[in-house]
Amino acid sequence: MAEPTNPALTAPSPAAIPASEPQTQSLPIRDSKPAKPVAKDAAPTDGAGDADKALTPAELKKKAKAEKAARRAREKVEKEQVGGPAGGAAPGAGGAGRGGAPATPKKDAGAGAAQKGGKAAPPRRGSGPVGAGAPAEQKQKKDDKKVAVFGHLYGQQRRTTVAGAGKEVHPAVLALGLQLRDYVVCGSSARCVATLLAFKRVVESYTTPLGTSLARHLTTHLSHQITYLSTCRPLSITQGNAIRALKLAIAGIDPSTPESSAKATLCDFIDSFIREKITVAGQVIADSAAQKVQDGDVIVTFAGSNVVKETLLLAHNQGKRFRVSIIDSRPLFEGKSLARALAKAGLDVQYTLVHATTHAIKDATKVFLGAHAMTSNGGLYSRVGTALVAMSAKERASGVEIPVIVCCETVKFTDRVALDSIVVNEIADADELVSSLPPQQLTGLPDPGANSPAPIDNKKGGKPTSAAPTPETSAASSSTSPLANWKDTPNLQLLNIMYDVTPAEYVDMVVTEMGSLPPSAVPIVHRMSTNL
Amino acid sequence: MPATSLALTPGLASFLKSLKTNPIDTSIENLISLLKRRQIRHSRSCATATAYLLRSVISACRTADPAKLIERVQGVGRRLMAAQPREMVVGNIVRRVLGLIRDEAEDDREAEFALSDVGSESQPQTPRAFDDPSLPLNSDSPSFRPEDRSARPPLTSMFSLLSHPEPEHSLPSTPGSLSPGGRLPGHGPSKDVRAEVLDGIGEIIDELGQVDDQIAAYALDHIHSNEIILTHTSSTTVQKFLLKAAAKRKFTVIHAESYPNNHEATHATVSGGSMHDDDNLGFETFQKPLIEHGITVILIPDSAVFALMSRVNKVILGTHSVLANGGLVAAAGTRVIARAAKVHQTPIVVVSGVYKLSPVYPFDFDSLIEYGDASKVLSYEDGDLVDQIDVQNPIYDYVPAELVDLYITNLGGHAPSYLYRIVSDHYRKEDISF
Repeated sequence: MAEPTNPALTAPSPAAIPASEPQTQSLPIRDSKPAKPVAKDAAPTDGAGDADKALTPAELKKKAKAEKAARRAREKVEKEQVGGPAGGAAPGAGGAGRGGAPATPKKDAGAGAAQKGGKAAPPRRGSGPVGAGAPAEQKQKKDDKKVAVFGHLYGQQRRTTVAGAGKEVHPAVLALGLQLRDYVVCGSSARCVATLLAFKRVVESYTTPLGTSLARHLTTHLSHQITYLSTCRPLSITQGNAIRALKLAIAGIDPSTPESSAKATLCDFIDSFIREKITVAGQVIADSAAQKVQDGDVIVTFAGSNVVKETLLLAHNQGKRFRVSIIDSRPLFEGKSLARALAKAGLDVQYTLVHATTHAIKDATKVFLGAHAMTSNGGLYSRVGTALVAMSAKERASGVEIPVIVCCETVKFTDRVALDSIVVNEIADADELVSSLPPQQLTGLPDPGANSPAPIDNKKGGKPTSAAPTPETSAASSSTSPLANWKDTPNLQLLNIMYDVTPAEYVDMVVTEMGSLPPSAVPIVHRMSTNL
Repeated sequence: MPATSLALTPGLASFLKSLKTNPIDTSIENLISLLKRRQIRHSRSCATATAYLLRSVISACRTADPAKLIERVQGVGRRLMAAQPREMVVGNIVRRVLGLIRDEAEDDREAEFALSDVGSESQPQTPRAFDDPSLPLNSDSPSFRPEDRSARPPLTSMFSLLSHPEPEHSLPSTPGSLSPGGRLPGHGPSKDVRAEVLDGIGEIIDELGQVDDQIAAYALDHIHSNEIILTHTSSTTVQKFLLKAAAKRKFTVIHAESYPNNHEATHATVSGGSMHDDDNLGFETFQKPLIEHGITVILIPDSAVFALMSRVNKVILGTHSVLANGGLVAAAGTRVIARAAKVHQTPIVVVSGVYKLSPVYPFDFDSLIEYGDASKVLSYEDGDLVDQIDVQNPIYDYVPAELVDLYITNLGGHAPSYLYRIVSDHYRKEDISF
C-alpha cells in the first residue's frame, strides 16, 4: 500500500516551495503534509484500514493518482497566489509591503484556497465521479455560469469594497475605483480623465523613500494604484494609453532632478495630457463633426457619447435645424442622460431602445457614434449594440446607405486588433440584467397594504405566481423576477458583455482631433501619436 | 388569487367560456371589443377565438344556402378585421372558412350532377390525421370537447351532428321553430354544406391546437448536436421546436430577451418560472423549460446579438404573421437579428404555423407595424422627459423575405419564394380581399 503512495507524497515537496516567498507560502503545505501521514498511520487501526485492505491494486493506483492530481492542483493554486499579486508590482516592493504582520491570515487563506482548488481542479469535465465536496460543487456552479466562449474574459470578480486594498493605495484612487465599478464614472474619456486626476493627487502626495529615486520608485507605487483600479473594473483602452504615457514621462525624469520639481513636471504633464488629448481634442472633434450636420438632417446615435453630445449641441447652437434619434440599450441606459441634455437644450429628440433600431434608422440621414476605442484593423470598439446600429445604417431596405461617422479622440486608438467581439471585451456583472427596473424603483416600492394582497402573496410564496404583468404590478413582479435566482438554476447563463466590435466596412469616417480619417488610417495615426 | 383573477380577466379563456352561453351577436361584439382592447393578442389566440366564433356563427345560421352563409361569414369577418387590422390571422381564418364554404358548395353542385357520394372529398386543406384527442388545445375549455368529438367522425352520424349544436343555441334566440323546418324536408345537399363546414372548422381548430407539435416534428432535421442556436422572444412554437430537439440532442441556445415588450415572458420561459401570459394560459402547459433537458441557455440583451452572431450556427425565429411574398411581421428587433445573421452568413429559420400565412402583399410596410406602450421604454420616473422627447415603442418589425432562408410550417420546410403556392392552396382567390 505504501509503495504507490510514497513517491506521490515526496515528489511534490521540492517543487512545492515557490521561489519568491518561501517563508509564508510553504507553510500551508507543511501544515497539510503531515496530516496525511498521520491519517495513514492511523488507518490500519480503524475502519478505514479494512477498506484499504479490500482495495484491489487497480483501485489503489487510482486512489494514488487522484491524490497526486489533487496535490498538483493545490500547488498550482498556490503558485498562482504568489504570482498574482507579484505580477503587477515589483517583487521587492511587494515583499516589503507584506512583511510580517499579514503572514498569518494569508496562510489561512492560502490553505483554504488550496483545498477548494484541489477539489475543483478539473473545471468542467469531471462532473461526477470524484467525491466532490460542498466547496467543489459551489465552484462548479460558478463555472457553469460562465459562458464558455467568453471564458477568457472572466477575470476575478469585480471588487465590492475597499476592504483588502493595499495600504499603498491612495484614498483618491480608492474612491475612484468604486466610482468606476458603479458606473458613476463611465465612458472611456471620463474614466481616463478621472484616473489621471486621481494619479495627479497620488503624485502630489508622494514622497520618495530613502535609497530609491523617484523615477524608479514612483512607477511601482503607481502600479499598486493601477492594480487596484483594474480589480474594480478592467481598465479601458484610454486608461491604458494614459498610464503608458505617464509611465514614460516618469521614466524620462532625470534622477538628479529634485523631487519637488519632478513632481511639478509630472503634474504639468498630466494636466497637459488631459487638455490636449481629451478636452481640446473633444472640442476640435465637435467643431469638425458639427460641420457635417446639415439642416433637415435626422441623426441617429447610439447610447450616450460625450463627444457626440458636444457635437450635436454645437450644431444646434450654430442654428442648424435637425432631429436626433437616440437608440438606447439595457442595462445602462446611457442614452437617457444624452436625451435629457439634448432635450434641455431644445433639440428635437426621439428616444427608442435597440429593438426599434430599424424604425429609428428608417428615416435617418446620418449616424453619429461614439467610441470606446478604435482597433488597429479599423474596427470600432464601442458599447454593445453599436454594431447593430451601424449595420442597419449600411443595409437599409431602400438600398441607400447612411453615412456612419465615428467621433473619437486619438487617445482611444490602440494597437490591438479584433476580428470579432469575442477577442476583446469586458464582462459585466450579469445580475445587472436581472432587475429590469432601476434600483430606485425597487426601493421605492408601494407599500403592500395600499396596493392589494397580491404583492404580499408573491413575497410570501417565494415563487412567482401568475401575477399579470400589467404596468401597475410590474414593480411587484420585478421583485420576484423569474431570473431572481438564476445562479441556482442549472444550465441557465446570463451574459452581459459591455462592448462589441463594428467591422471597419460599416464605418465611413472617423472624426479625430487630427482630422477626419477612414478607419484604415487608425494604425498610422496611432503610430504617429505614440511616437511623438 | 390566480383562479379568481383568471376568471375576471377578459381574454381568450373567458371568451370561449362565454361563447357557449351568450347569443351569437353578443359574442361577436364581445370578440370585437376584446380584439380592439388587445385583450386577446397572440396570433394563435386570435385565430382560435375567430375559429370558434365562426363555428358558432355558422351553426347559429339557420340558412342552408351557401351564398347566404358566405355573406354572413363575410359580414362577421369584415367587422372582426376592422376591429384589429394588424392581427392578420383573423382574416386568415375567416378566409379559410369562406374557402371551406365555397369548396363544399362546389362539391355539392358537382355531386348533384355526378350523383356521386357527397362528402368523401370534404377534407379540404390540411392532409393530416387528427386522431389525437390528448391535445392541449381543449384543456381550458372542456365544454367544447363533446362537440368536437361528435363533429369529428364525418359521415357516420349526420343527423346527430346537426342536431347536436342546436340544443345549445336553442337557448338564446329563435329556438325550435326553424330547425325542424330546415331539416325534415330533406334538402340533402344544402344541409350537408353546413355540416361539412362545421366539420371543416373543427379541423381548423384542431390544426391550431396541433400546429406547434407538427412543426416540432421537423426539429431533428434542423438542429444537430453541439449547435449554437439563437432565438428571440418567448414564442411557444420555437420553444416546442427546441424542446423536441433537446430530447435527442445536446446544443446551446442563446436567447435574446426582447426587451421591453416581451422580456418578462422571455425570462420566465428561459428560467422555467410559471409567469405566463394570460392569453396563452390555455395552451401552455409547458412541461419543462429547456434548461431542465440539459440544454445550456444563455440569456443576452438584444444589443449583444451582433457580438455573438459570429458563434451562432442557426437563428430560429418565431413570427407574428407571414406575408404572401415571404416577408414576415415579427416582434420588434427581429429584423436587426435577421440582418446580423445574414451578415454573418448564418442561416435563418422561421417557424410558423400555416394559419399565420396571410395572402396580404405588403405595399405599405409601416401600416403593418403596431406601436406599443411608450412607458415600457421610458419608465415612469423619467416622466419629466416625456414632455420633451418623442418616445417610440414599435411592437413589430417587417422582415423582408430575402433575409429568411427557410420557413418551417406544419406542412414542412419551404423556401420563402415558395410561400405563394401555399397561400394559393389555402385561400381562394375570391376571398383574398373580401
